[in-house]
Amino acid sequence: MKDFTIFWGCTIQTRFPFIEKSTRMVLEGFNLPYRDLDGFTCCPEKSLVNNVDHGLWVLTAARNIALIDKAKVDLVSPCTGCVSNLATVNSELHLSGKEKDKVNSILAEVGLKFKGENKLRHLVPFFHDEVGIPAIKNKIIKPFNGMRIAIHYGCHMIRPSHALKNDDPLEPKKFDNLIRAMGAESVQHMTKLMCCGQGLDRVDQHENALHFARIKLKELKSLNVDAMALCCPSCYLQFDNNQFLMEKEGEKFGIPILYFTELLGLAMGYKPGELGLDSHRIEAVNFLEKWERLNEELSRTMVLNKELEEGFGIAQP
Amino acid sequence: MELLNLKLLEVCSRCGACYHICPSCLNLPDYDPRAVIKDILAGRHEKWLNHKSIWQCLECHYCVEICFQHYGFENAMTAMRTLSAKKGITPVQVKRGWDMFIKTSRLGEPMAPARKKLNLPEAAKSGIEDFKKMVKVYQERKDRKEK
Repeated sequence: MKDFTIFWGCTIQTRFPFIEKSTRMVLEGFNLPYRDLDGFTCCPEKSLVNNVDHGLWVLTAARNIALIDKAKVDLVSPCTGCVSNLATVNSELHLSGKEKDKVNSILAEVGLKFKGENKLRHLVPFFHDEVGIPAIKNKIIKPFNGMRIAIHYGCHMIRPSHALKNDDPLEPKKFDNLIRAMGAESVQHMTKLMCCGQGLDRVDQHENALHFARIKLKELKSLNVDAMALCCPSCYLQFDNNQFLMEKEGEKFGIPILYFTELLGLAMGYKPGELGLDSHRIEAVNFLEKWERLNEELSRTMVLNKELEEGFGIAQP
Repeated sequence: MELLNLKLLEVCSRCGACYHICPSCLNLPDYDPRAVIKDILAGRHEKWLNHKSIWQCLECHYCVEICFQHYGFENAMTAMRTLSAKKGITPVQVKRGWDMFIKTSRLGEPMAPARKKLNLPEAAKSGIEDFKKMVKVYQERKDRKEK
């Protein structure tokens, strides 16, 4: 496997370092060749920077990509927004030689050159395609069998598809496959691909952001899911933090929000505390208790199976 | 800034297929990009520059994916936001975020105490020096071109 760097992005390191923690633990658990790289800036965030200055948006992303070109490593990010922005600019520059030359004439002033020769991927498709389902299944010692988990893909994990080529943009499968590999049921729901709406919070429309969060949380509550799984810090902010704010005002949902690597880390046997799960605003206590109980039942079944297997051993010639 | 393709937008104004999958169209009562597009084509876009609607496009790119032109509402809304920002009319948080981005090259700094508590290694260094140098060159060239 080619060496890669992790592009953490601003939101995870500023607000949710526990997502970084679980990501590092899982990467190390699989012994994957990753390293940190100095010099990254904001990806930059599209709705903010691109709306104000498209040229600077392209240039800043191109500079980040030029850093991995220089280090000759692939890039993997736990943030869907970061990957989507970087990949969109990457694709734009590959399509326009003129724009690429213009960008490179400025990057030359800081000793860099955009080539766009390395892979830019989100953690979910990276695990799905590069690590692979069989290797993941091999690492799982405490599966989520019997748990009902609703996946929220997050728009920028899969779109724009011409730039990302991560998964089907309208009917994605990879995150579902990963959750199922961990033993859980991926609960299908109407709002599965609905945008989380966190963007509204960034343009002074907090009530509308809550309205978006409420629609999804209500549906998941009615479906009696054990948790929501997602893979984007912005969506996490929307469903954990905004759910917490609504609960404080008396609306009860009780849906724990788990990041992809937190689930994978738990399934690999790491403790909730070491993964930083106690930093969540919506507590995952009920989720964890049910999971422990189901695992105890499962291990009793495994003992039974082992005895049966031994029985077969005697019977066989 | 990126220019609008009015030819595609004209076709867009007669289609509107994405209206039925756009999360903001489906969930925010007064949001309808079709009205904005009609006004752009009629030369009346100015009235939208100060309107909250143009910031309600979530850039989820759903419309682009379903659009047979690969265009969608999004491009029109981005153009309106860019014009609006050029006139200095942006939501407070957009202005605040932009300022922080230009000043620090990021939208926040790593949380040192929480990192320590979680036993995380020191965060990698940002590229602020080179970023500032790069922005300066970019700005100089842009100013020269605008003159």
